[in-house]
Amino acid sequence: MPILQVRDITKVYEGKVTNRAINQLSFDVQKGEFIAIMGPSGSGKTTLLNLISTIDKPTSGEIIFNYIKPQNLNKTDLAFFRRRQLGFVFQDFNLLPMLTVEENIILPLTLDQQPVEVMEERLKRLAQKLNLTSILYKRPNEISGGQAQRVAIARALIHEPAIILADEPTGNLDSNNSREVLELLSKINQERQATIVMVTHDPIAASFCDRVLFIKDGEYFNEINRDDRRQTFFQRILNVLSLLGGGQVGDLSSIRLP
Amino acid sequence: MTFHQFAYRNVVRNIRIYAAFFMASFFSVFVFFIYSMLMFHPSIENGFLGNVPMIWMVIAEIILVVFTWFFIFYSMKAFLEARSKEFGILLHLGMETKQLSKLIFLETIIIGTVSIVVGILFGYSFTKFFFMIVREILMLEELPLYLSWEPFLLTFVVYLSAFIFISLASVYFAPEKKVIELMKGPKEVHFHITYTKYKAILGIVLIVGGYLLALMITRGTFLSYTLLIPILITFGTYYFFSDTIQFIVEQLKKKKSVYWKKSRMLPLAEQTFILRNNRKVFFVVTMVSTLAFLSVGLLATLSSYTSQYDKLNPLGLIYKGHIDNPYENEHMSSIVSELEEKGLSYHLTRFTVLKQTSSFTKYEVEVFRESDINSLLFSYGYPMVRLSQGEGMFIPYSENSVKRLSKMSVDTILVENNIPIKIDKVYPKLIFPSSIVSLNSIIISDEDFQKLTNPYSGFPDEEPGYHLFTFDIPHWIEITDVGVSIQHNVAQEYLKEKYLLPYYFENAGLNYSYILSTYSLFTLVGLLVAAVFVLAAGSFIYFKLHTNLESEKRKFDVLKRMGISDGEIKKLVTTHLFPQFFLPWGVSLAHSLFAFVTLQKILKDIANISIVKELVFAFAFLIVIQVIYFYLIRWRYVVHVRD
Repeated sequence: MPILQVRDITKVYEGKVTNRAINQLSFDVQKGEFIAIMGPSGSGKTTLLNLISTIDKPTSGEIIFNYIKPQNLNKTDLAFFRRRQLGFVFQDFNLLPMLTVEENIILPLTLDQQPVEVMEERLKRLAQKLNLTSILYKRPNEISGGQAQRVAIARALIHEPAIILADEPTGNLDSNNSREVLELLSKINQERQATIVMVTHDPIAASFCDRVLFIKDGEYFNEINRDDRRQTFFQRILNVLSLLGGGQVGDLSSIRLP
Repeated sequence: MTFHQFAYRNVVRNIRIYAAFFMASFFSVFVFFIYSMLMFHPSIENGFLGNVPMIWMVIAEIILVVFTWFFIFYSMKAFLEARSKEFGILLHLGMETKQLSKLIFLETIIIGTVSIVVGILFGYSFTKFFFMIVREILMLEELPLYLSWEPFLLTFVVYLSAFIFISLASVYFAPEKKVIELMKGPKEVHFHITYTKYKAILGIVLIVGGYLLALMITRGTFLSYTLLIPILITFGTYYFFSDTIQFIVEQLKKKKSVYWKKSRMLPLAEQTFILRNNRKVFFVVTMVSTLAFLSVGLLATLSSYTSQYDKLNPLGLIYKGHIDNPYENEHMSSIVSELEEKGLSYHLTRFTVLKQTSSFTKYEVEVFRESDINSLLFSYGYPMVRLSQGEGMFIPYSENSVKRLSKMSVDTILVENNIPIKIDKVYPKLIFPSSIVSLNSIIISDEDFQKLTNPYSGFPDEEPGYHLFTFDIPHWIEITDVGVSIQHNVAQEYLKEKYLLPYYFENAGLNYSYILSTYSLFTLVGLLVAAVFVLAAGSFIYFKLHTNLESEKRKFDVLKRMGISDGEIKKLVTTHLFPQFFLPWGVSLAHSLFAFVTLQKILKDIANISIVKELVFAFAFLIVIQVIYFYLIRWRYVVHVRD
């Protein structure tokens, strides 16, 4: 039984100019899977992530989490669903500047009004694991980008969500920090059997995943699974991206080569 | 599109952004203009407010100008800060700094001119209404609307120069910023500890010290304390906001069991930052609100004084003279003829009051005759006094003394004539105003009074008694010009070191007209200033919120993704806004409360007036306004951050 099922979803933005952002898209995510969603700019990646995040509703089709259909929940239940089942990692970290690192990490637990002992216990374990113990009392503006993203990952993990949604988690990081963050994500994926859905257009980032799903203009384009060697997987991703680029052969999309 | 057109379109097409700044300017002009209309009124030179007011009105006008200038300057600063992103884009596109300054200047002048014109138009159309209110308060025959160029010119010049000066100042004194910083929008929050423990404690000590002094105040220490207390409170309030409050929140945050529990973390952490960044604004708002509270409270006090005036001064005219006063006949006939000329009915009572020494107190006592008193009581319509030989009755000198004297029972002998008197009653109402009779005055029966043949033992060094003429006049408000020349002599003599005139005169109607004019002046000035203060205090907070709206939106976006329900958003906004609105007000309310406890005590000593009811009413009114304001802004805020 897949942990996340996306069934024929379509999203139309109405306004002065009607825009079909997602069109008849379907896929499944299994428990413990680390999946990347790739596509050129404007292909609907972020819209898709917003729909999975339940902060936006599809025009038609449905999204099912573990038998739960968020569309049927009311606003308050939806908020409760998000705070317990989903964890978020953003491109620009989105740590709250008035809170210290440790406070940022436990934020999801305070929203859920958990007892202080639980918070302290989980914080201690997670901080050790993610190597954050030394910066726990600093402010977000006093730490580096890589550290900030590690803090954001800790925040996404502390309430032990069913799925972690990551929106371009390496978009604002240099290559070293990128690698560190990606290795961390795949380690979490392996050790904790955490399910991760990551949106990216960085082929290196995608090469850390188990499976890469390509979308183009809001429609399903292709998907490839990881093989034994990351290098060949990376090469295959590049091949698909070059196909994605458009009609003309050799017209590469705006990808970043290592 | 020329540069001027660009500036013009910028304003016209972004009305919503400019609206807050426009409203601030418009309201300032509006209040100022209405006030100027009153100040330049042709009949004010005829002295309808008495003699003093003109200079006070000018001073009030100057205070108003200074305050509105400050207010506009602050609005302008917040407004420019909120638009820094827009300026960043313009500079990025290659606009010179000089051109940007010119753009800001042009825009300010456009908004300024429009708000001046609209403010004056609205002001003029509301002037008649305002004059009607003034006429009612001052009980004037008429206060017609007039048209004259002075208020228009004054308002126009004052505010146009204000806008020119403020726009130049805010452009030239703004710190030089890089384009990239401007593009990022309003500057990020700084987090460093700014408080020290020593100052935190100092803040509390100063405020508590000020309060204690206010509670301990007496008539003797009144002057020195009233100078000291405001200084203590001002510094105390400053340290309270800059250090004490932060110290308290920081201590609270150290306790994880308190801080992390029940979603308290986010609001508390936010408050730390709000308190730290707005400490100066909070200080100004607190002091300004305290001033507004005090002026409103003072108004309430004065209004209660005027409403109780009638009760405290039951007599229209009082003439008091020595037994051998040579002017007595001349003055009495002139007063009586003046009253008759005006066709006012009156009831004249002539008293002969004798001084005697009481064996009980060993001091002098003023003795009134029963039939004299009854004559006055008859005209009041009060119950008569019946005394038999050997009986006496106290005359109360104030409302409070009635209670005190009723418990006393005294057996005394009027020493000079050896007449025993038993005094165990008090007349239950105030017969004379407290300034006329001595604290030790009694009524005795006519039989006993006739036996008082030997004069007071202090005679001839001291007067053995006096003649008292009282006029009970039903229409006492209309007697302001009766006995003016006698009043004039008395007032002149009062200024001298020793009061040597053989007579004393009091005209309650005239005194009342003085009090009324002072009161109405305070009403006008106080209400206008309080209106501007209350509005400004709220607007300071509003502008601050407006500036930070973008980063607030980002914060709520993250929280919404994490899963925060609508109800929780509302709760968070409430806890976010509540301290900003009510903390400065709470502190200033506490300040005012202590100020009025003091005032109440002083007034009780002097005029025996209670101001509790009026104050509760005035404060409740202000709090209701603030609560409405709070909900209005909370509503706008929730709408903004929710989508």
